[in-house]
Amino acid sequence: MEKKYKSNAYAHVVRLAVVLVVAGGLAVFARGMFLPDTMGQYGHYRGSDLVDQRNVEIRSHTNESCYECHRPIRLIHKAGVHKTVSCEFCHGPYADHITDGKYVAKMPVKRDMEIKTLCLRCHNKIIRARPEESIKVVAMPQHLEEKKVNIEHNCNQCHMVHDPLLWVKAAYDMMGMEMKGDKK
Amino acid sequence: MIDIKKEIQKDRRAFIKNVMSGTIAGSLLMVIPAGAALDQDLPEQLAGIRGDDSPFTKKKFAFVVDVTACIGCGSCCVADKNEYNVPDGNYRTWVERYVIDDHDEVFVDSPNGGLDGYTKPRTDIPYPVRDTFFVPKLCNMCEKPSCVQVCPVGATYKTEDGFILIDKDRCVGCGYCIQACPYSVRFLNPVSKTAEKCTWCYSRVRQGLLPACVNVCPVHARKFGDLNDKTSEVYKILREPHVISVLKPGMGNQPALHYLGLRREVV
Amino acid sequence: MSAAAHGETIAAVSNYIFPNDLHVHWSLMIVLYPYITGLVAGAFIVSSLYHVFHIKALKPVARFSLLFALAFLICATWPLLNHLGHPERAMSMMLTPNPTSAMAGFGYIYSAYFLVLLLEIIFIFRPVVVALREQATGFMKTLYGVLAIGSDNVSEKSLKLDHKIIAFLAAIGIPMACVLHGYVGFIFGGIKANPLWATPLMPLIFLLSACVSGIAGIIVTYIFLMKISKREIDIECVQTLIKFLWGFFILDFVFEMLELFSHFYMATHHWHTLEALYSGPLFNTFWVFQVGIFSVIPFFLLMIMSLVRFKDSLLLFFAPIVSIMILVQVLLMRWNVVVGGQLMSKSERGATTFHPMWLEKEGILPAILIMIAPVVILWIIGKILPFWMDDDAVKTA
Repeated sequence: MEKKYKSNAYAHVVRLAVVLVVAGGLAVFARGMFLPDTMGQYGHYRGSDLVDQRNVEIRSHTNESCYECHRPIRLIHKAGVHKTVSCEFCHGPYADHITDGKYVAKMPVKRDMEIKTLCLRCHNKIIRARPEESIKVVAMPQHLEEKKVNIEHNCNQCHMVHDPLLWVKAAYDMMGMEMKGDKK
Repeated sequence: MIDIKKEIQKDRRAFIKNVMSGTIAGSLLMVIPAGAALDQDLPEQLAGIRGDDSPFTKKKFAFVVDVTACIGCGSCCVADKNEYNVPDGNYRTWVERYVIDDHDEVFVDSPNGGLDGYTKPRTDIPYPVRDTFFVPKLCNMCEKPSCVQVCPVGATYKTEDGFILIDKDRCVGCGYCIQACPYSVRFLNPVSKTAEKCTWCYSRVRQGLLPACVNVCPVHARKFGDLNDKTSEVYKILREPHVISVLKPGMGNQPALHYLGLRREVV
Repeated sequence: MSAAAHGETIAAVSNYIFPNDLHVHWSLMIVLYPYITGLVAGAFIVSSLYHVFHIKALKPVARFSLLFALAFLICATWPLLNHLGHPERAMSMMLTPNPTSAMAGFGYIYSAYFLVLLLEIIFIFRPVVVALREQATGFMKTLYGVLAIGSDNVSEKSLKLDHKIIAFLAAIGIPMACVLHGYVGFIFGGIKANPLWATPLMPLIFLLSACVSGIAGIIVTYIFLMKISKREIDIECVQTLIKFLWGFFILDFVFEMLELFSHFYMATHHWHTLEALYSGPLFNTFWVFQVGIFSVIPFFLLMIMSLVRFKDSLLLFFAPIVSIMILVQVLLMRWNVVVGGQLMSKSERGATTFHPMWLEKEGILPAILIMIAPVVILWIIGKILPFWMDDDAVKTA
């Protein structure tokens, strides 16, 4: 009744066990090969990423960087009420202008109605969201009507964009008048 | 009376004179040699960091947002988008507008994340408005970040100095961290196909610069500093008896982003 | 509009969603993954009911269930790989799994379970494979040789050891199948930021609906395959499967409803967002379809079919219908949880919308293709290994 077999009764189990152990060993070896070197250096992450993160390009600078070359504007802007407004907000980031110390491209300058839209982003009284008045806000076209100015006029016809009170103050001086209110 | 034109002309002459006399070496275009450190033209806005090449700073940074100061201009959003070329429709930071009427109903919006500023008032408020304010949002840099907990491969992590960063080379783009963040500050960048979020401008901070949004805010609503420095503004604010809050405190994430003057209607 | 009650300051009046919440990141592919692993886990449970719990009535489908599970398991990673932003980095989950992440468990859980299932199939089919090898020629002979692990020994001694190994594999297979699907439930259940997902019941609900879908899948395919090959269907087997389906479905439905009811009853801080979701965007897919049509009707049908002895032809008429309804219910449940959970914004003030497209990367067409693939694979497996106990290959072995 005993049939003759070519293989041992347990051969298949042994072979499977061997295959599994070898596969496991290969997997461990492969892991060692593919694991990034600095993995786990400081925690469960690739330690060298800290260096990569530090080297992310800095595209915007500060107003001081612009002032370095743009001296006339510096005189006006830094001394005026818009000194906290970023040059790069209106003109784009430093990196688009200078790369590796070399001039790359001309920066955009706002024109016409773009200027009015930009001004009203901060100075619009109608936008219902000021806990209290931190900066001067006006409603358009009422502001122009109050000042008896043609309502087609753009903001920068009275307000020099880099220091909006420059010409206004000069006008008061010229007339020998005092400017009212607390202008920050 | 100031003669503007004269002022400019005067200075322009002096300027050109300087160039000619070689005070400014060589041509203006080669003033800053290629590859030089940023030190030359950038002020050190945060002391004691620039030049420190150790893996972690010894600082304990805090970010404070003053809701009572924010005017909703969106300069921060513009600066952030410029700094990181954030793809349209995704936001590393954004500004929300809250309008509350006298029936206690709350109306919130954030058109394009506040990137274009707020140009139109809300016209759908049924009752008189009793309060309005703007709330800037950004990564809360939690002490116990949910995002780091769920990342399957360790691509997002918390540094020893409290920054939560994303390793773009290891992120598999599974999106789990985006689901886990209670504040929705994370998104999947459609270009790199990895997760991305506000990093409190880690690379800028390591160079001693303020985060881009803090730097540009015209009304100083965003504040950033080292809590270990007892002279810093953030230290003083967090020590003084102001009403300081964090978003979703019940989540247990313990954000390092603090709000000054936040109302309970803000989520 | 009446005055909002004092304190109800987070009421969803303005439908405001956070700017980053517009896009639903986990779509069809992530709906399919738990669906597929659910079918795997459920089919394995059917097989284990016979191999471990000795439910004799299920003998006809015991082996077939394993092959069914294998076919679907092979395809389980496909929706995930399709979804990843960087599928080429997928092995990172095996290389550097983050111990705190439920999703990191995927690589090892899946691989371990695959191994157990594969080994169980190899051992159970070994006598059959050895016999088939003798009669085969060419490529098939080599293939059978590999499947037999190069052994031709089917003596009492070897079969006794095989039997022990099979019992062991079937036994550990049960908790492993539970983990394979339970961890998926925890992937969702552990996300505190999402009020729909964050519940300790989530792994349980996923697991029970997995069992339900697997049993239903076996019923449908068993009856269908028997019909097209014009073979006799074992009525006792179908009757038993229906009873188990009913039992598991009771548990599944109860937990699904309990979860929702608890939230409703306690009405804590997040209830208003859930309420807005269930009465708004999810009203149709959840209340009308998942619950109304595809839960309540099968519930009563299964109850009647289990308690009342039907005429054979009537049983064989309703069994596939109710099973298909259950399969739809489970798919809808996955949809409502995965997609539904992402519709609510974390602003707690609004919801976004989601409409799957036919031809996008994670769209309807890829989803259909991914669901057809296991059927094709099962067909290929059927050409290699016999599904049924009364197949000639099995009888002569």
